[in-house]
Amino acid sequence: MTSQPPPASNPSPVATPGTRGIDPRGPRFSAGITAVLLLVVIGLDLGGGSTAGGTLLERAGQPAAILFSAITVLFAWGFFAGVTRHPYGWLFRTLVRPRLDAPSHLEDPRPPRFSQGVGLAVTLVGLLLHLVGVPYALEVFAGAAFLAAFLNAMFDFCVGCQLYLVFVRVGIIRPRADSRA
Amino acid sequence: MTPLAVAAILLGLVAGSTTIGLVWRSTTGRIRGVAHVDERIRVTDLSADAVAGSGATLLQFSTEFCSPCRTTRSLLGSLAAELPGITHVDIDVTARPDLADRFNLLQSPTTFILDATGTVRSRIGGAPRAGDLRAELGRILEAAA
Repeated sequence: MTSQPPPASNPSPVATPGTRGIDPRGPRFSAGITAVLLLVVIGLDLGGGSTAGGTLLERAGQPAAILFSAITVLFAWGFFAGVTRHPYGWLFRTLVRPRLDAPSHLEDPRPPRFSQGVGLAVTLVGLLLHLVGVPYALEVFAGAAFLAAFLNAMFDFCVGCQLYLVFVRVGIIRPRADSRA
Repeated sequence: MTPLAVAAILLGLVAGSTTIGLVWRSTTGRIRGVAHVDERIRVTDLSADAVAGSGATLLQFSTEFCSPCRTTRSLLGSLAAELPGITHVDIDVTARPDLADRFNLLQSPTTFILDATGTVRSRIGGAPRAGDLRAELGRILEAAA
């Protein structure tokens, strides 16, 4: 694809015509909530002492594990239903967005959705390892997810930009064959 | 673990993440010079409707899952429109892992500045900075003149 010189009257980047763009501050707001919740998970887990002991049911019933499961479900929601149908997206639109100026541009909802998928994979693996009794699984995986969510919220760091090509090249993701040029 | 120790660990986590964020922000979009490249890239081989610039070509690699690719496309497109002899080519590598391997792409957007012969002169990982890019293009055009 070659980009033609854009008309001078339209210098700001906008969502592709025909697609519904989202306010770029929405995903960062959501990432901020997620980062705080993940920090609470780590705090609860560290404060609660040994986490890997006990039976499967005991491990699943720990406050940190319950909150971490909820975060995992919210990532799944964002990935499968899309960020615009996510509770945080709704929260942003009803509570935050009306208090802000209009966005300078709109963004494609696919990058944040990809990030939700990465978040889902990381938290799901962490949760399963915790449930089978691996020590510090919650801390390590919640810590990794926290780093990504925190960087996204505070620095506008784009998870999909950093990880997608690496995943494709090591074979974790297979690109759709039909769109190959 | 005591509440104080837990608080110290959480604070350390936030401080460490902030440091990583600051380092990332100061390095992303930096222009890195490329020395000794024998390979010449013909952009028309990468995309049928691509046009190589008579002075320099801004070759951008994007993916679908990348918001900064959009802002980069706008920046490079307007630079190409403004500066004579400069063109902009944007390749979506979402379905082209062969290109990601061939050019060792690790993140999107990644931008190459090609000179008039198609030789890669500079490489930019992340969203480029407009001022640095203008200066670099000026140097490349001057060296060719």
